[in-house]
Amino acid sequence: MGRMKSRLSPPVFKGRLHDARTATSIGRWLGSAFAVCFLTGLVSHFMQHPPDWLANHIPSRPSWGYRLTQGLHVASGIAAIPLLLAKLWAVYPRLFSWPPLRSVKHALERLSIAVLVAGSVFELATGLLNTAQWYPWPFSFVPVHYAVAWLVVGALVLHLAVKAPEIRAHWSRRSPGTLALPVQDGPDRRSLLAAVGAAAGAVTLTTVGQSFTPLKDLILFAPRHPDQGPQALPVNRTAAAAGVGRIADEEYRLVVDGPQRYTLTLDELRALPQHEVELPIACVEGWSKSAHWTGVRVVDLLERAGAPPHARVRVTSLQLRGGYRVSEMGQEHARDPLTLLALRLNGAELAPDHGYPARLIAPNRPGVLQTKWVGRLEVLA
Amino acid sequence: MKLTRVLAGVSGVVVMGVGVSLLLDVREVPGVLLWLGGAVVLHDGLIAPLVLLVGLVLVRGGVRGGMCGGAHGGVRGPVRGALTVAGALTMVALPVLLRPGPRANSSVLRLDYWSNWLLAMVVVAAVTALVMAGRWFWRGRRGAS
Repeated sequence: MGRMKSRLSPPVFKGRLHDARTATSIGRWLGSAFAVCFLTGLVSHFMQHPPDWLANHIPSRPSWGYRLTQGLHVASGIAAIPLLLAKLWAVYPRLFSWPPLRSVKHALERLSIAVLVAGSVFELATGLLNTAQWYPWPFSFVPVHYAVAWLVVGALVLHLAVKAPEIRAHWSRRSPGTLALPVQDGPDRRSLLAAVGAAAGAVTLTTVGQSFTPLKDLILFAPRHPDQGPQALPVNRTAAAAGVGRIADEEYRLVVDGPQRYTLTLDELRALPQHEVELPIACVEGWSKSAHWTGVRVVDLLERAGAPPHARVRVTSLQLRGGYRVSEMGQEHARDPLTLLALRLNGAELAPDHGYPARLIAPNRPGVLQTKWVGRLEVLA
Repeated sequence: MKLTRVLAGVSGVVVMGVGVSLLLDVREVPGVLLWLGGAVVLHDGLIAPLVLLVGLVLVRGGVRGGMCGGAHGGVRGPVRGALTVAGALTMVALPVLLRPGPRANSSVLRLDYWSNWLLAMVVVAAVTALVMAGRWFWRGRRGAS
């Protein structure tokens, strides 16, 4: 019987710093990282799947907007990895609190913590694996990552509400709860917090160069290097993967379908007024790189087709395989003078992998919507 | 204040409800639940016990603040810091180090990640040694004057 009891009794934690002050200190950083990650994730979601009321009003400026928000999304998620592990380390002994369930309220609180922990680990793990294009799970990444994000944020808000008195009691070094903790833990705790901060800094510095290119020389663990790829620009879907290969010049036609439908050959497209813009390709997976693009303004093509000023535009690729064959643009993007049907990249013809002979490049727009191998622009009513 | 807490708690439950309703629209819900549960089991059953075990071994092995002149001069802080940073870097590097299968194209995962990981570990060790040497030096000077 005695053995039974000892087998069932929870483990004892003699180590220091598994206290509310440590949890509050790390929790503040982690909560901030989650807030940034969730808000930037929402931006990305609504840019790619806008509800009807928003579809025609997504702003096209600032031109670097999506580069910033998606870079922050991936960077805050990566920085949250050591913060989450440290936070869970600090509160780990509570997993074995005894008795495990004291009341219905206590059971519900523990359930919400289980959801929070499961969802947090899940979101950071699937997000990081997605940046490496590694999908070992049986479900579709994007809708599940999006749904679990809401689950985590809800559980986090509930957690903050439940723990508010404890958080307040340990908010600063002079808060009553902090002062009630052993004084000799203070320097040790500051040393631990410095280590956790250093870990968050280290994982950020070794990956953030994939979108924040001034730090590209510090990249150690990012899946992409912004200088590597055809024409020194990374690629997600190649011409081969899209089933287009190199499109023959004489066979290429651009159809602009509007009130006055017309078709252009590649030579006719090249003969139209050309404009140069500097715009980034900013991928949902976190990498981004700025480049010089030359081509025809989409607004010029639309006006020649007699498109009304508030019309939305559907852009269709000649690609045969893979998703994102069709993208749509609201009036802000369609009318922006920076939005081009680009024919050249950094002074040279587009490589097939970058969409030869013509691709869309628009400001403040996710990379997957910068349609390549464009064959058709369609004015929507 | 009590009311604010209750309202915050209720709004948290509502937002969780949004997440649940979004999840119900997804196919493969059992797979998602398996991965969510797996995330907890992986952390609570493997990662956390391993980290605690490493900490225990270090303390038992004599790496503690008290032995070498208190928390400021001890080796415990820097060693723990080095392991924390190295562990975080390794965790973040795991996908690029271990991802199996062909790459989508030649611009994906083309760095030499194992060399980069070794370099990162060497830098962490070197910075830690410098911090410890610096502390030892300054303590020595303070003690002499």
